[in-house]
Amino acid sequence: MIKTIGLSKRFGGKLAVNALDLSIDQGEFFCFLGPNGAGKTTTIKMLTGLLKPSGGRAELGGIDIQKHPVATKSILGYIPDTPFLYDKLTGREFMRFVAGLYQLPKEVLNGKSEELLELFEVRHVGDQLIENYSHGMRQKLSFAACFLHDPKIVIVDEPWVGLDPKNIRFVKEYLKQKTREGLTVFMSTHTLSLIEDVADRIGIIHQGVLLHTGSIKDILTLARTPGSLEDVFLELTRGENE
Amino acid sequence: MTRAKAILWAKIRIGRNQVASVRHESKLKVAVVSVSAVLLWIAAFAAFYGAFQWLKQFGADNSDTTMGLGEIIMSRMLSVFALALFFMLLFSNTLIAFSTIYRARENAYLVQAPIAWWEYFLARFVECVAFSSWATAYLGSPMILAYGLVQGASIIFYVAAIGFYLPFISIPAAIGAVVAMVLVRVFPRLPRGSMIGVGIIAVWCLFMYMRGNLSMDKLADPNFQGIQQLLAPTQSWLLPSHWSARGVLAAAEGQVAESLFFFLLLTSNAFVAVFLAAGAAQLLFYPGWSDLLGNDMNRKTPPGRGWVGRIDITLRWMPEPYRALVTKDIKLFWRDPAQWSQFVIFFGIMAVYIASLRDRPVAMESAFWRTWIVCLNIGACTLILATLTSRFIFPLISLEGRRFWVIGLAPLTYRQLIWQKFWLSVSSTSAFTITLVLLSCYMLEVDAIFFALSLYSIVITNFGLSGLSVGLGSLYPNFQEDNPARIVSGMGGTLNFLLSMGYITLIIAAQTTMMVTEVLGVYRSPSHFHATLVLVVAGMAVLSAVTTFLPMRLGLRNLDQSEY
Repeated sequence: MIKTIGLSKRFGGKLAVNALDLSIDQGEFFCFLGPNGAGKTTTIKMLTGLLKPSGGRAELGGIDIQKHPVATKSILGYIPDTPFLYDKLTGREFMRFVAGLYQLPKEVLNGKSEELLELFEVRHVGDQLIENYSHGMRQKLSFAACFLHDPKIVIVDEPWVGLDPKNIRFVKEYLKQKTREGLTVFMSTHTLSLIEDVADRIGIIHQGVLLHTGSIKDILTLARTPGSLEDVFLELTRGENE
Repeated sequence: MTRAKAILWAKIRIGRNQVASVRHESKLKVAVVSVSAVLLWIAAFAAFYGAFQWLKQFGADNSDTTMGLGEIIMSRMLSVFALALFFMLLFSNTLIAFSTIYRARENAYLVQAPIAWWEYFLARFVECVAFSSWATAYLGSPMILAYGLVQGASIIFYVAAIGFYLPFISIPAAIGAVVAMVLVRVFPRLPRGSMIGVGIIAVWCLFMYMRGNLSMDKLADPNFQGIQQLLAPTQSWLLPSHWSARGVLAAAEGQVAESLFFFLLLTSNAFVAVFLAAGAAQLLFYPGWSDLLGNDMNRKTPPGRGWVGRIDITLRWMPEPYRALVTKDIKLFWRDPAQWSQFVIFFGIMAVYIASLRDRPVAMESAFWRTWIVCLNIGACTLILATLTSRFIFPLISLEGRRFWVIGLAPLTYRQLIWQKFWLSVSSTSAFTITLVLLSCYMLEVDAIFFALSLYSIVITNFGLSGLSVGLGSLYPNFQEDNPARIVSGMGGTLNFLLSMGYITLIIAAQTTMMVTEVLGVYRSPSHFHATLVLVVAGMAVLSAVTTFLPMRLGLRNLDQSEY
């Protein structure tokens, strides 16, 4: 469902992402790990079409996002770490706006929008301006908006910020349930304890290079001494200068 | 609903919600802004009406078939106005398109949505047009109405003026947007030094052009040939401003067919311009967007490199926390192209102004006109100052925005913060405006008393306008907005601009009245004049002190009482 072939990004003299080859199947929950500045955000920006790769290509649902951006983005949902939402729109107005962007029929909007607002517990504030929302409420609204058009692929960048434990559990279970229904999730996060509950496969990136991919079990076997995922991650991404 | 329509729908909703939220604003602020806006419009209308009436009397021969000299000048004035508007819109749209298409916070969300670039462009383009054109409509409407009334135009003239407006503003907006997209593709590849070099060359070319064309000899030509020659370029068939002026003037004369021809010419060109701009966006927008995002991620600013990198060292004599705050303000300003590029405009305006004073006007030989010219000169300088403080100083507190907690948690008082902004304003704006006054007074060869009075006026208005802008900026901050242009165009910014205008009007009116009455021999004796002079100078000082301290005090109280 997601395939990158030699995907690279160079900023001046610095190679931020170096020939990334990745293949993620439909219905897979893939977690992307790496220390700060490893190239996770740059990869996400290339996958969502926000950045143009310096080399290689990214295919989502078998379509090259650079060649056919509109078609690709129609099947894609994106949840950023700091959700940008229009402060002067109400939650309900924002949902309608997103429905317009994705060209959803009105009848789908009316039913589904309310359903998602209810599901993500923001229906009661649906008529309030977003500027009055807390960070967690904004995050929940961006989740609701993301699923409005039934995406086939969801790219999530550190989704837990601002969510309370109850909502973290809900989001985790919701995403997992969706993958069982065929959704592909690509998630970048630092919260290793949460990954262990949801990830089908993990990819570890360090200094722009994809070091390893595999299930949690596979990754744990990479450690020289047995330990937790956190121990393995720290060992694999230990800097040369440390 | 198409995707472009969805974005526009959201923008209209945002606008409606913003208008609705006015009811939560201070009633006093809303009342002052509304009344001042109406009064300013009426004043502009009265000035244009008076000027047109005055002009119409020249060369009038009571014939219905030939145009009098005054009528020719009036029609030329409309052409000049349309041309000036065209270039203003072109320039402002270049800047607005850059901030709207590339820099607005919502862009990352919109770019990842399934929207074609041409469609994305069209949605943002409409926003640019709306944002850049409301002020020109506000300032242009009194002129059009005054012209129509003086000329006794029929209703067709007013309908034509409204009808021509949208296609007219669309053309410079489309060109401006394309210029912005091309610059985004070209400029990031240039070293910073080359960018500055291009800017300096552009200002220099403008200066030399104005110097060559704005000759006092031409303007003062009693046979009107010089002015005709000077205004000839505004009548070029290639200019959309000329089509608009011709079409509207034809409507004023009841020549509907001619007016319709120019309307269709303008509208078809507007459609083509927008169509081509959307096509250019399909090609240019995404590579530029990606480059810009990449450059931002790759930007390195090592300490100690370049003058901005050394600013911290240069200001080491300044006590903390002022040094840290000033350094931050300067760096943020310098690293935001939308900020310093607008600052370049002020250099352009100053260059044009100085260029226009190249030859000492013949009228300076007359004591009466000399007094008027010197007072108008200081009026022009304070107007530039008021524009500087309204545009760049007022948003300073708001620009702390969502980072305000950093300052809120720091061991410094809000009193220290707003006085730092005040002194930063006084020192930076003084450097430009005092130089402008010294240069203009030198070129006009003004008398010692005028020289001293001009210098005094600009110094005290620097204090007054800085206090007003920092004070009102603290009293009505907008922490939700990151774009300074939008902060300025809000209610608080509008109030600040209107009060700034009111303040400099009082300052200039006081000294003009005093100096003109002196020339007219109203004072019985020199001592009577000197007493009035002292009174006026003291009055200006008191007014400036009130304008400085009162808003600062109110602003400080607001910051102290606010919760972040």
